Amino acid sequence: MPIILENVSFSYSRKTPLETLALRDINLRIEKGEFVGILGEKGAGKSTLTKLLNGLLKPETGTVRVDGLDPSLREAKRRIGMVFQQAADQLFCKSVYEEIAFGPQNFGYSKKETEERVYEAIKAVSLDHSILSRDPFSLSGGEMQRVAIASALALRPDYLVLDEPITGLDPVGKKEILDALKKVKDMGTAVVTVTHNLKGFFPLLEKIVLIKEGRIVFQGSRENYLRKDCVPLPPIASIMKELRARGIPVNPEVFTVEDALEEILRVKFALEKEKQ
Amino acid sequence: MIRLEEVSYSYPDGTPALENINLTVKKGEFLGIIGKNGSGKSTLALQLNGLLKPQTGRVKIRGMDTRDPSKLPGIRKLVGVVFQNPETQFVGRTIEEDLAFGPENLCLPPVEIKKCVDMALAETGLQKYKYRSPKTLSGGQGQCVALAGILAMSPECLIFDEITSMLDPESGKAVLETIKKLHKKGKTVVYITHNLEELYDADRIIVMEKGKIRLEGEPESVFSNPSLQALGLALPSVIELAELLKTHGMVIPWEKTFSPKSFAEELCRLFLKT
Repeated sequence: MPIILENVSFSYSRKTPLETLALRDINLRIEKGEFVGILGEKGAGKSTLTKLLNGLLKPETGTVRVDGLDPSLREAKRRIGMVFQQAADQLFCKSVYEEIAFGPQNFGYSKKETEERVYEAIKAVSLDHSILSRDPFSLSGGEMQRVAIASALALRPDYLVLDEPITGLDPVGKKEILDALKKVKDMGTAVVTVTHNLKGFFPLLEKIVLIKEGRIVFQGSRENYLRKDCVPLPPIASIMKELRARGIPVNPEVFTVEDALEEILRVKFALEKEKQ
Repeated sequence: MIRLEEVSYSYPDGTPALENINLTVKKGEFLGIIGKNGSGKSTLALQLNGLLKPQTGRVKIRGMDTRDPSKLPGIRKLVGVVFQNPETQFVGRTIEEDLAFGPENLCLPPVEIKKCVDMALAETGLQKYKYRSPKTLSGGQGQCVALAGILAMSPECLIFDEITSMLDPESGKAVLETIKKLHKKGKTVVYITHNLEELYDADRIIVMEKGKIRLEGEPESVFSNPSLQALGLALPSVIELAELLKTHGMVIPWEKTFSPKSFAEELCRLFLKT
């Protein structure tokens, strides 16, 4: 069963002079095991959307259902793990172990079960056991973010929702998170992430949801997104788009450095042949 | 303007953060500093206006030694720092009040303070938000307030420590444009980042790793240095593509790699030649 949003609208500060419409007529379906990217400019409504998915915000009109359940129900909350932008804001325990065990303990799992889940979660994000006794606030940015992800994974969610998980990290930290998320997805959990970092995330995304001024303007596969010339694009895809605009017939689905090189050499060869 | 001689610094827990750093920041220069997390970039930034003092060696700001407490007010007036998270830098209830904090502390008369605040608002385009609370602004505007707060003290040198890393790309670009404008007007800028793309038109870049300066030079030579990846830095994918094309005899000049448009134009030119 998926997460389904039907005709969802949401405004902040409703019924006050400051009322602002954040999302309008959202229809969206997120299937189990998908890797979904939510893209759009700042203020488009991306973060609002993530908060509607797990019941932190309630839709003004329309419905949200998580595997058929109301997202404010305890069981629905267990199925959706949430990781916010700044990992440090959601860490609060004295040790990494306590941090990750907090969720399972609150759901009343036994000590043994909790321990099992903590070990499973750190393994999923490729952290070593030695980290469990450390103070979460002494960790590097990438490690902190992985602990935040592990805390969400300890409830064995079916969906992991993240808001800009690699912002502010250096290239090494970014790669750690991307690798961890890929692994989480491969183990069967759906990953839904808001991101501006196309260079890092694009290769992982299977489905893209593009939001503009509170409305979904594109929803579909990465390939379709590229073919429809949507923006934003990763830098390499932007070059490909500019080439097509100049009448050079390059494949619109190319967005990696390696593929771009191959494509450019192919076109060059074809043009040379034509001349002869 | 700023000179570091054999500067070393370790944190109280013994972690060495800087080792024998020798560096001169010239007046009017745009100096970029890059390096992965923990390479010592931020520690270096804090040394540049005396927030941290060297344990060995010395840091001189226009001849004033940062270890001399009597010189600190003079140093702080010359060099201002803007940090990563704007929210940790706000002190006032309104933006106007926030910007007045610096000049007030320099003991300027009220008329002068008002002038400083107005100038800072104008430089950053924040006039219309004057009476708003800094906490109601977006991240990008917040960084502009933090920058304006420093500008209100009219420093000659501005230090930026990863100020765009929490911002979305559009807001980041806007903040960087404001900084470039200030640089053109004569401010000395030290810009710390781990995003190489922000340093295309820096005058000079230094690359740090484990508390040491590993590479130094103009952007073009630093970007094409093969050891960058080993230093924990990711080359922009566009530069990576340009480097690969070069090995196939297609040379995209450095300045054409800055935008997808000029890159594509250059490729078309190369295609036509064939």
